[in-house]
Amino acid sequence: MICSPLTLRYSLSSSLQTVLRATAVVLALCAACNLALAAKPVAKQNTAPVAQQQADSEGVAEARLIEVYTLIGKGQNREALAKAEQLALNLPHFQLAQLVYGDLLAARTRALTMVGDVPEAMAREAAGTLSELREESLRRVRALKERPAAGLIPTQFLQLSQRTKHAIAVDASRSRLYLFENTASGLNLVADYYISVGKAGTSKTAEGDQRTPLGIYYITSNLDRKSLKEFYGSGALPINYPNILDAKRGKTGGGIWLHGTPPNQFSRPPLATDGCVVLANPDLDHIIRTVEVRSTPVVISPQLQWVSPNSSRGEAKPFEDALLAWRNAKTSGDINQVLSFYTSDFSSNGKSLAQWTPTLRSEMDKMQGRTIQLKDVSYLRWTDSADTMVATFGEVADGVRVGWTKRQYWIRQGNHWKIFFEGVL
Amino acid sequence: MMLSVAHADEYADVSQLVRNGKLADALTKADQYLATKPRDPQMRFLKGVIQRDSGKTSDAISTFTRLTEDYPELPEPYNNLAVLYAGQSQFDKARTALEMAIRTNPSYTTAHENLGDVYAKLASQAYGKALQLDASNTAVAPKLALIRELFNPAAKGQRPTAAAALPSPVPAQSTTAAVAAAPPVKAPPTLPAQAPVKAPPTLTTTPAPSTTVAAAAPTVPPVVAAAPAATPAAPTPTPQPATAPAHMAANGNKEVEAAVRAWAHAWASKDVKGYLASYGKEFDPPGNANRNAWEEERRQRITSKSKISVKLENLNISVNGNKAVAKFRQDYKANELAVSSRKALDLVKAGERWVIVRESVVN
Repeated sequence: MICSPLTLRYSLSSSLQTVLRATAVVLALCAACNLALAAKPVAKQNTAPVAQQQADSEGVAEARLIEVYTLIGKGQNREALAKAEQLALNLPHFQLAQLVYGDLLAARTRALTMVGDVPEAMAREAAGTLSELREESLRRVRALKERPAAGLIPTQFLQLSQRTKHAIAVDASRSRLYLFENTASGLNLVADYYISVGKAGTSKTAEGDQRTPLGIYYITSNLDRKSLKEFYGSGALPINYPNILDAKRGKTGGGIWLHGTPPNQFSRPPLATDGCVVLANPDLDHIIRTVEVRSTPVVISPQLQWVSPNSSRGEAKPFEDALLAWRNAKTSGDINQVLSFYTSDFSSNGKSLAQWTPTLRSEMDKMQGRTIQLKDVSYLRWTDSADTMVATFGEVADGVRVGWTKRQYWIRQGNHWKIFFEGVL
Repeated sequence: MMLSVAHADEYADVSQLVRNGKLADALTKADQYLATKPRDPQMRFLKGVIQRDSGKTSDAISTFTRLTEDYPELPEPYNNLAVLYAGQSQFDKARTALEMAIRTNPSYTTAHENLGDVYAKLASQAYGKALQLDASNTAVAPKLALIRELFNPAAKGQRPTAAAALPSPVPAQSTTAAVAAAPPVKAPPTLPAQAPVKAPPTLTTTPAPSTTVAAAAPTVPPVVAAAPAATPAAPTPTPQPATAPAHMAANGNKEVEAAVRAWAHAWASKDVKGYLASYGKEFDPPGNANRNAWEEERRQRITSKSKISVKLENLNISVNGNKAVAKFRQDYKANELAVSSRKALDLVKAGERWVIVRESVVN
């Protein structure tokens, strides 16, 4: 799709040209948008006759908004107006749809100079809302323009067992949530959605700081929407903030959820919540229907880095070796050798390493010299000021029917990976 | 059906009663007339205006709606429907009606202005929803200009009011039963009823006093605050300078005049090729029509007429280098229709020829 300024050569009235210039920011990306439209399976429904059906499907509202932007970019303002009108009619609470609809109507009467060129009195009265809407528009568009190349995955997902059916990654800088399906051939990106994070941004450290936490989390439960206030929209998926690393660092607060939007807002501004990650209701509905409680990881990153799964496996090698060495030590029955894998500040549910050593010893006694097998191994890497790994696996001795599912938090000290938490799930 | 001066007098009588505020009498008289001529568009239109003035909005809506059904080519009933819808804050319906009016006649100035106001109002509503502002902040409705009479030709020397519709450049072709009885060429046209240009001004020559014009300033955007309603009177269109006989001293003027007259002649003689050749490459067809669609429409409109007459009066030409503007009164007759309007043609010199790059109707 051609999106160069060449499209301006159409003989447009001056006001239309101005609206084109005004939306140029938005439109520089229409190639990406079209890609996005094509990439979304739901976009196929755009040909479906019933608009309301589309409006109710996840991701479609944004695809329709981008379609309007793309039409403006191609100078087809008449078509854009018709599509915007329909979208605003179907989703009257989708503020960006109303804004572009207003712009397209206003373009018929006056020259526009910017996106959301509302009359001055209104702009003054709702200055904050207006700038938030512009930011939301920009972020939606940028996330679609800067889509990860096909086949790439976030660096955090080093190894996901087949027990993990889905994974979620949030890129706060792009206001975007990416939903992956974990298949035998690896992680596939199946959908991505606009999201809102905390009013004060990310890096939550304390209760009430209105920030969204950064790290590796898991969905802990699925709250029934009937038990929730309508503010939370179509439901809520709490995550395990503060996790072990957060707690070790003294972070406080809690009640961080993925949840929906209130009835009067289709979506919320990029920075709007008290720390939760908020999605449009149709998008959250899809996630709730899709993912599994407990086994679905939620990575929240200030900015995701995308790499090929192969390079990610190479990165994982030193850790994989450390994990196997720990297993071998445990199999060997030498408790001192095993203890060398644990940090001095190790803690397990309040027990220091010395307090926890009897637990370790009794586990090893039960093995009675049998070889330990690690099954369904997953490990996700979180690197900030420290380089850490969250490992989950089944620990089973040969010849024994059942073992237990373990979670360990590892930290890299120089070239050595050490365990600073271990617990049974 | 033959139109006589007596009929024209009936319109004038009803109009007079309306102007004097005797709405009940006007309605009675209109109904009497319509009892004998139930399809007559001019009287039905007047009846719609009377109903509207009497506050019978839904009656007026149904009168104008039926007119649009029976005479879809007339822009005025659509315009007035839009005024009524806008009065009920049904801006989407107002928009649709005005878009129909403009589709019917792309140069239809009043509808254009009204549509601009409705777009602005709809934009304001959408912005209000986008910004989640209290709806009452945007409740000020635009005041749209009502058309008071069908086909109100601007009589000579009179300033057209905002309410005077200037149908142009080509009036919609009448398709009613009245067409069948083609009157002699010099007789007053049957439909729409109006004074032939050179005839004694019988029916609509008295311009509606501006107090009867329902227009408020259409250019005031209906913004949040309650302020705009303050603008009191109808917008007074810029009066045309008294059209002195064009002085044709300069050569450029003569060339331009020749080009304009050749254009009118090609039109009147149904020489479509010559007519279309009068327009330059840069000519921007009215509305959003592309050049081909516009040419095809013009071709169809011109060749479908059995006889066309185009007379230019008060031709006033100003030349500025390679550009010129020609203003004149255009008396157009085709089949049973006769319309007089003020025109402006913008021309540019392309090689040795002057060609039209813009055609507009001026109030």
